[in-house]
Amino acid sequence: MDFVQKMFHQSETPVSRRAALRAAACGFGYLGLADLLSADADNPLAPRAPHFPARAKRVIFLFMHGGPSSIDTFDPKPRLYAENGKPLPIKRPLAFAGEPPGPLMKPLWDFSQHGQSGIPVSTLFPNVATCVDDLCVVRSMVGEGVDHGAALLQTFTGTSTFVRPSMGAWTLYGLGTENKNLPGFITIKPALSHGGSKNWGSAFLPGAYQGTAIGNAGMKVDDVKGEPIEYLLQKGFTGEEQRYELDMLQNVNRRQASMRKNDPQLESRIHTFELAFRMQVEAPEAFLVDKETEATKNLYGLDQEVTRDFGWQCLLARRLAERGVRYIQCTHSYKWDQHSDLFAKHTENAKEVDKPIAGLLKDLKARGMLKDTLVIWAGEFGRTPVSQGGNGRDHNPYGYTTWMAGGGVKAGFVYGATDDIGYHAVEDRMHIHDFHATVLYLLGLDHKRLTYKYSGRDFRLTDVAGVVAEKILA
Amino acid sequence: MNKRTAVRVTITILSAAAQLLGQNTAADEFFEKKIRPVLSKNCAGCHNAKLKTAGLDLTTAEGFVNGGQSGPAVSKENASSSLLLRVIGYEQQPKMPPTGKLKDEELADLKTWVQSGASWPGAAATTQALPKPANSREFTDAEKKFWAFQPVHKPAVPVTKDKKWAKTPIDNFILAKLEEEGLRPAPPAGKATLLRRITFDMTGLPPTESEIRDFLADSSPQAYEKVVDRLLASPRYGEQWGRHWLDVARYADSTGNDEDHRYPYAWRYRDYVIGAFNDDLPYDQFVREQLAGDLLPAAKPGEINRRGIVATGFLALGAKALAQKDTKKMFYDVYDEQVDTVSKAFMGVTLACARCHDHKFDPLLTKDYYSMVAIFANTRDFTAKGSKLLYKPLVPKEEVDRYSQYQEKVNTKTLEMEDVTDEQIEKYTSELVPHLAEYMVAARRVYVDGANLATVANEQSLREEILQRWVKYLQPNDKESAKPSLDGWKNAAPGAATETAKAYQARFETRRAEWALTMSKWRGRFRKMTAEKNMPPPAKPKFKAEKDPFFYEVYFQGPFSVSKEERAKIIPQETQARLVLLQKELKDLKDTMPPEPDMACAVEEGDSVEQNIFIRGDYNSPGQVAPKAFPLILTRYEQPAIQKGSGRLELAEWLTRPDNPLTARVMVNRIWQGHFADGIVRTPDNFGRMGDRPTHPELLDFLASRFVENGWSVKSIQRMILLSSAYQMSSDITDASLEADQDNSLLSRFPRRRLSVEEIRDGMLATDGTLDLTMGGTLQKGFGTDSENSNSRLSLRPEDISRRMVYLPLRRANLPTLLNLFDFGDATTPAGKRAMTTIAPQALFMMNSDFVAGRCKNISEQALKDSADASVRMRRLYMKILNREPAADDLDAGLTYVANFQKKFAGKRTEADAWFSFSRILIASNEFIYLD
Repeated sequence: MDFVQKMFHQSETPVSRRAALRAAACGFGYLGLADLLSADADNPLAPRAPHFPARAKRVIFLFMHGGPSSIDTFDPKPRLYAENGKPLPIKRPLAFAGEPPGPLMKPLWDFSQHGQSGIPVSTLFPNVATCVDDLCVVRSMVGEGVDHGAALLQTFTGTSTFVRPSMGAWTLYGLGTENKNLPGFITIKPALSHGGSKNWGSAFLPGAYQGTAIGNAGMKVDDVKGEPIEYLLQKGFTGEEQRYELDMLQNVNRRQASMRKNDPQLESRIHTFELAFRMQVEAPEAFLVDKETEATKNLYGLDQEVTRDFGWQCLLARRLAERGVRYIQCTHSYKWDQHSDLFAKHTENAKEVDKPIAGLLKDLKARGMLKDTLVIWAGEFGRTPVSQGGNGRDHNPYGYTTWMAGGGVKAGFVYGATDDIGYHAVEDRMHIHDFHATVLYLLGLDHKRLTYKYSGRDFRLTDVAGVVAEKILA
Repeated sequence: MNKRTAVRVTITILSAAAQLLGQNTAADEFFEKKIRPVLSKNCAGCHNAKLKTAGLDLTTAEGFVNGGQSGPAVSKENASSSLLLRVIGYEQQPKMPPTGKLKDEELADLKTWVQSGASWPGAAATTQALPKPANSREFTDAEKKFWAFQPVHKPAVPVTKDKKWAKTPIDNFILAKLEEEGLRPAPPAGKATLLRRITFDMTGLPPTESEIRDFLADSSPQAYEKVVDRLLASPRYGEQWGRHWLDVARYADSTGNDEDHRYPYAWRYRDYVIGAFNDDLPYDQFVREQLAGDLLPAAKPGEINRRGIVATGFLALGAKALAQKDTKKMFYDVYDEQVDTVSKAFMGVTLACARCHDHKFDPLLTKDYYSMVAIFANTRDFTAKGSKLLYKPLVPKEEVDRYSQYQEKVNTKTLEMEDVTDEQIEKYTSELVPHLAEYMVAARRVYVDGANLATVANEQSLREEILQRWVKYLQPNDKESAKPSLDGWKNAAPGAATETAKAYQARFETRRAEWALTMSKWRGRFRKMTAEKNMPPPAKPKFKAEKDPFFYEVYFQGPFSVSKEERAKIIPQETQARLVLLQKELKDLKDTMPPEPDMACAVEEGDSVEQNIFIRGDYNSPGQVAPKAFPLILTRYEQPAIQKGSGRLELAEWLTRPDNPLTARVMVNRIWQGHFADGIVRTPDNFGRMGDRPTHPELLDFLASRFVENGWSVKSIQRMILLSSAYQMSSDITDASLEADQDNSLLSRFPRRRLSVEEIRDGMLATDGTLDLTMGGTLQKGFGTDSENSNSRLSLRPEDISRRMVYLPLRRANLPTLLNLFDFGDATTPAGKRAMTTIAPQALFMMNSDFVAGRCKNISEQALKDSADASVRMRRLYMKILNREPAADDLDAGLTYVANFQKKFAGKRTEADAWFSFSRILIASNEFIYLD
């Protein structure tokens, strides 16, 4: 007879016989299926039905930290060629730069039309250009943050003024997640700066909805691989030894609970150990990007040094998406902030992400996942049409480009427009609140109904604003 | 004619005109065809009956007639300059609609409509409607009578049927309610349980083995009281209870938000709070010091009130968006954050909800909000010049000035020395760099073709010793794979050597120019910071090798580098002499330098500014003046005049008046919550309508009155609580208590609670005896912030340090994983109560962390060393981890496990492993983490 049975059956002391009887009576017996199912009822991450049928089941957000230039990538402005070097014809809005604005500076890359849709893409993104018929290019994004911190916080939480839950946390709160062995919201190598973890935090939402960081932007992929999630990997003991220890722990816990009846928190915690054990057995497999075929790895550029980092992130994102993770973010950090040396640095940056992004889009499509995965490509803002210091551009949150793909958005479509120098969005303006409302809509959530009561009132991702951009819905 | 009548008359005239025009069906038709669709498409999204943005509803005749916060949309007297036309004509802020100007023909139609009298069909029926004056209203009876706003009345202590149970008046209140419901209080908890409970509650740590033995052995009637007094006097008490207050004060060591700058002296406020609790500083004084300590006299006349200045860290240490370019917005976000913290911490109201509109649920007006903002707008959080954090010296100005002068001289000298040396090195390298390609080609001739080094150098007019170094650097060796930067060179075809070398040289020159720019920028910053005196100069930049290994190796380590020893060779005699002199001057300066003056992150009185209400919270839309004042609903009996400076001192005095309805109630509730997991009001930061009602209102008022009577002594209230029968009840949940008192709001049992993250982590360190009990000071190094992707932006990991957690500096933007895991909160908004979640990653921490394993290794090794007897060892583990003796079957099960483990994993695992494993079982157990 094993010690497990011994503990409850062999002991002759009346106390523990009574304990054993109570244990049976209170349902603290061996943790069976029934326990797991009943425990799901108060699992904050259990999948929940959307408000209305969802077009996208999950999100992959490709974040270009620093602010890529829209007018050099996806939003060509002929007038800038004609008036290159001329003074800015409008009053400059609040700028990050302290010095007076430089003259207009033409795009430093050539544009050409691509695909059936003929959407123009600059030579910075030759690979993404081959996927252009899958993109919904939004050229009319508007934010309020002129500095990186304010802009990141607004992009991810809706406001830079207050501490609010991130959009990933809201998503998880609204929909739960499908794989209980993996966190539902994963952010790969996130930025520590410009708001840091507030950008994937849960603020006043329960902690279960916060994003789980896989390393951080300051780390190398090889270091991240070692232990992708803190405490996830068992150390020292083998699986069998740890299971043996865990069985005893659960016995000790069940016995303790049986002597302190009517306390659901004790039972909950017993359940989390089973869940944790399963997580550590099954979750690490999701991170084994190296197990992919050579062809797949090459598709994402893992065979080349320049694309290896972001390629790894994108391929990991696909693996996580496949396994039911609800919200995934990849970060290309903090490279795109070209106040100077725009040509050299944007060229370098684009090289690092172009192939991985195209690889991700093609791979998702080939696996039939693009239709219900919403891929978002965005920086925290764009860059000004005027030059800074002769060879750079300042921050521009007043009109910039992001694109989406899959997940129920129109493919090969351009939405909104900036003015003819690319400074302000003028047509179908999509404020960040509208962007959030739209993303939630695609996930089957009504941004006005996705509320959480805190400090005496209902809060939502979009505060009191946000309009769904219906024109982009497929 | 008063104002309101004037408005009414205007409206009546307007409405009468509208009524007249309203009979005109042609006008109605024009409205329906040309006007309503435009309004409906472009305006009604925000200006509708539900949202009423800016108080304006443009969907109904009534709403239109009433106008908005800025007044009537249409002026009858001067139709062409009506607000509506100016706003849609983009002639005036706010330009509407914000998404873009209306089309010309739409503008023309609207103009025609306004000029012909702005007839709105059906407007006649609404003549009675009056515009609501913005931001002021009458309070309803229910609001005036709301419990939290009533003065505290000390109730009589209730008489109970059971005369034996009550040990303090608290028990009478608890028991009276239980008796009303026909319930009995839970029996007393066991002694070991009680000791573990009270020790964690009061110190955040488990009892030691000797404390357990002493208490269990002490059968005197005063045994428990002795424990209470011992714990109240323990320095650990201030660390535990100070931490509760730091949650309320949203304490952290950096600005969070965007750039997350360090608050280099925040720790002094944290130490002040811990000291205040340990010294039982009267709470009214604690409030006064935190709000206005800088304005209070020092203990001795003429001295600087150090503790008072430090205490204002309460106001100074909030989250701030330092990179915000819109500085006015940044300032008002800071004031907002201060109003939010002050109103929640001391008053238990959510006044910040009234920033954009009157509070939706409580009688708190926008005017109340801006009247409080006025106090903080007259207070300074930044240096007078701009937006640098304010550091206040705690020593006389002369000392500070003397130190800064020294510091400036030291900095200047240091930089001068750098400059002189760097200039010489630059001169030297400048002569070499143009020949870089030649050196490479020449070196190749030596190490590939075997040519004689001296001959080659001579032929090409290269310096022999430099060429020698190039050969050494380029020559393939065992470690050649370590230099991928040279792949291009090694793989170059023999014919392409010169061309390849030139490419290397070109890139090298570009890098060198970039590096020169970086260094010159650094020099600029260095001088600027030295001049501005409130930041130490930035560290000299280091070139990141991975950015360009070739440049790094050649320039900083290899052929073109100049080592310290070699400097003597290249620096001319007279320059060297100058360097020696500078070095001596620097040393003299440093030797005589006064110590760094103590500083604090604090606030001070600011310039006098008049504060307006900001309509919709927008500072571009100032409304009426909001003089400094306290919320009307709380002061309707008497609004004290604020005459001195910012008004912070008057605010503190008003809050600590014995008749303030909230201050004492809010604090005794926090104290209660600290002992019973839930407060008497279970929403400790919100006593308003959306907060919970008190479960025991009379008890709350009794405690609040007693608190003030006892000179606001926190410890005196705690002593009464700890000695009560209620506190000493068992936490068992009987069926009867569960049925009649499911959420324990009657307190029919003691509430079992999970340990906080500090208690878990500090408690584990205490368990294996590795906790470092050093008090105070800071573990944070440096000023300002770090580069964007630097790991220095992370908070220190609590697993790597053995000081108590309360002393670990917190970088707001990146709190440690462990804190996020166990519900610490965000350290950015006042949090009187933490969440309590139970999630799988917490279990992973127990199972897999090195930290937990480390504790268990120590504990089990100690037990093994202590005795060869397995039972004795097992008893030690139980005492250390669960703070009790094991029961007979605990002992049996434990020993069986240890034996079976060794049997099952024989040959693979040792006896020590078995004991280690069982230690981890106990430390991961529910019994460890839940306090009975």
